[in-house]
Amino acid sequence: MLEINQLNIQLGHHSLNYHRQIPTSAIVTLQGVSGVGKSSLLLTIAGFIKAQSGSILWHGKDISQLEVEQRPVAMLFQENNLFEHISVLQNVRLGLVNISDQEIQSSAEQLQIEDQLHKMPAQLSGGQRQRVGILRTLLRPEPLLLLDEPFAELDHQTREITADWVADMARSNHKTLILVTHQQEDVEKLATQNWLL
Amino acid sequence: MLICTVTLLSFYGLIAFNGQGADLELLSDSYFHSILIFSIKQALLSALISTVLAWPIARAIYYYPNLLFKRAFLSLALLCFVLPTLVLITGFVSLLGRSGIITPLLGPDWNLYGLHGILLAHVYMNLPFAIRAFHAQLQNIPASSWMLASQLKLSGWQKIFLIEWPVLRANFNLTFGFIFILCFNSFAVVLALGGGPQSTTLEVAIYQALKYDFNIGEALTLAWSQLLIAGTFFVLLYRSNSVSWLSKDTRGDYQLPCSSSWQKIRYGLLYSCTLIFMLTPLLALLPGVFAADYSRSIIGNILEALSLTLVLGIICASVAIALAYAIMLPIRQSILQGKTRKTLVLQWLANHSLIAPAMVLSVGLYILFLPLIDLDSVGMIFVVILNIMMVLPFAIQQIRARLLQYDSDYAVLSQSLKLSTRQKLSIEWHYSKSVFFSTFALVIMLAMGDVAIFSIFGSDQLKTLPWLIYQYAGSYKINEASLASAVLLLLYATLLFNLERAKQHA
Repeated sequence: MLEINQLNIQLGHHSLNYHRQIPTSAIVTLQGVSGVGKSSLLLTIAGFIKAQSGSILWHGKDISQLEVEQRPVAMLFQENNLFEHISVLQNVRLGLVNISDQEIQSSAEQLQIEDQLHKMPAQLSGGQRQRVGILRTLLRPEPLLLLDEPFAELDHQTREITADWVADMARSNHKTLILVTHQQEDVEKLATQNWLL
Repeated sequence: MLICTVTLLSFYGLIAFNGQGADLELLSDSYFHSILIFSIKQALLSALISTVLAWPIARAIYYYPNLLFKRAFLSLALLCFVLPTLVLITGFVSLLGRSGIITPLLGPDWNLYGLHGILLAHVYMNLPFAIRAFHAQLQNIPASSWMLASQLKLSGWQKIFLIEWPVLRANFNLTFGFIFILCFNSFAVVLALGGGPQSTTLEVAIYQALKYDFNIGEALTLAWSQLLIAGTFFVLLYRSNSVSWLSKDTRGDYQLPCSSSWQKIRYGLLYSCTLIFMLTPLLALLPGVFAADYSRSIIGNILEALSLTLVLGIICASVAIALAYAIMLPIRQSILQGKTRKTLVLQWLANHSLIAPAMVLSVGLYILFLPLIDLDSVGMIFVVILNIMMVLPFAIQQIRARLLQYDSDYAVLSQSLKLSTRQKLSIEWHYSKSVFFSTFALVIMLAMGDVAIFSIFGSDQLKTLPWLIYQYAGSYKINEASLASAVLLLLYATLLFNLERAKQHA
């Protein structure tokens, strides 16, 4: 269970408040107009933004004072998820534990990016880059996954394939997933809870 | 800590040598005044001529990008700036000295020694630096500005005042100030081409007071004066940004205004004259190289000095780069944490050795350690330490931008992926290795060219190649000096070639 208790974040002159419980293995979609603080919430859970007050509990343990590296969180940013100077495959391997190249290859096939693994990130389209980021985040060992607009750059068909794969992976590995989306179809396809900010 | 300790020790030497203080009476002496005025005059003139001439030349290269050998020209410009001054001086002496190649054409009144020669050498070294700085700056003009200017049908003057000058203005002052400091602290050029007491600068006067007259009180007064003036100028300059002159050539999709045929001819002429100016002193070494005495002892001396120079350069460059990286770690950390004041303090500490000229630090340490240890036998250790200190700020400046760019692009991602230290270092190395290679090449060139520090701590048993050139030139063995200079020039050209190549891949 992830418990967000009376969490207050100060962004410039804006004060944002959150209070919510998310059961383990749930898939939660976050929706709301731009600037309402969806990404800020994810960044706070991941440890990149320090909250003014409140706490974040994971299985009863307060993680809000922990460093980024110590939190049980894997996050996909809206952009800048890849190191541009190393290959796609080298990028994917970062942050993974005990995952063979075969497993990476097989997941990449499902996401239709198997031919892109040996290229450099600059050679990929926006949608391909996003799927590489998704692939790595879902293969990471952390139990709590945060995805910030993961399907934003994908066409309709690729979006469906990718969303299905994300849902399958999250469910079969008992991951708790929070993702930001503006699309109602993502909510219908994936969410066990929808959180409207 | 280590670097600060060396500076503190040096200042302790400057303040408290056996209770014998500085010779304050010297401050009211006309000898001191004439040295001070000449130091400032030659530095001002050198800076003014270099920056004013550099502007039209930089424009020519910018507006006429298809000039023949343009890339080689820019590399040569860099070579002129980093070239050990004694190589250049040998070239000038072969060309314009008493029995120089073109001296007969200059009339009976011509004399290379004195203000003429000093200005010529300073402009030769710094004009190319200013050209590169201005050219790099002009390349930052966005294509949209030129498109807007064309659409608004701006005249030539309007383009200069509305587009060019705003881009160059800050850089112009900065380049002028930087060249002023370099020339004010110039040692080898004035030592070799000064030609007498009427053309002496503070730096050379310190050397003479210490090594010839052994007048420590006078050396202290001169060193403090040098430090006060150079330090004040440096602090004023440091408040501005650094001059971008080694930055990657950002050629590409900029859309330049069309030049008329006359303009192209004018640009071409200006470019050709500058190219000839830069090449002639180097080519003037050739007759001396052919006429040199190729005896075993001369070749042996040159090879021995070359080996020592290389070893010194490699040690200094390696240690300086390792130190620069280590010094950058807390700076990067404090930038990431948004601690502005801490960042400023750390950066100032990292660059503090730029304030004190090599000669001032050398004098401080020399005076401090003279009664304590046999400086003749351990002098080389001081040469290494002081050279590291001198090149360290350059090393930091070179790697800083790349490392901060890395942090800005990837620090969050790297943290999010929870990478191990080994993984972090490996990724960072892949990202910045070309900058490290080019920095190594630059720093090794700067360290190998030193004469000022060696003149204080060096010995006659172990000579570096620049010092050997100075000795050959000083004993009128111009052919041998040319040969040694050509060897050093070749080494620098090779390093420069690698530096430029690394920069292209950066």
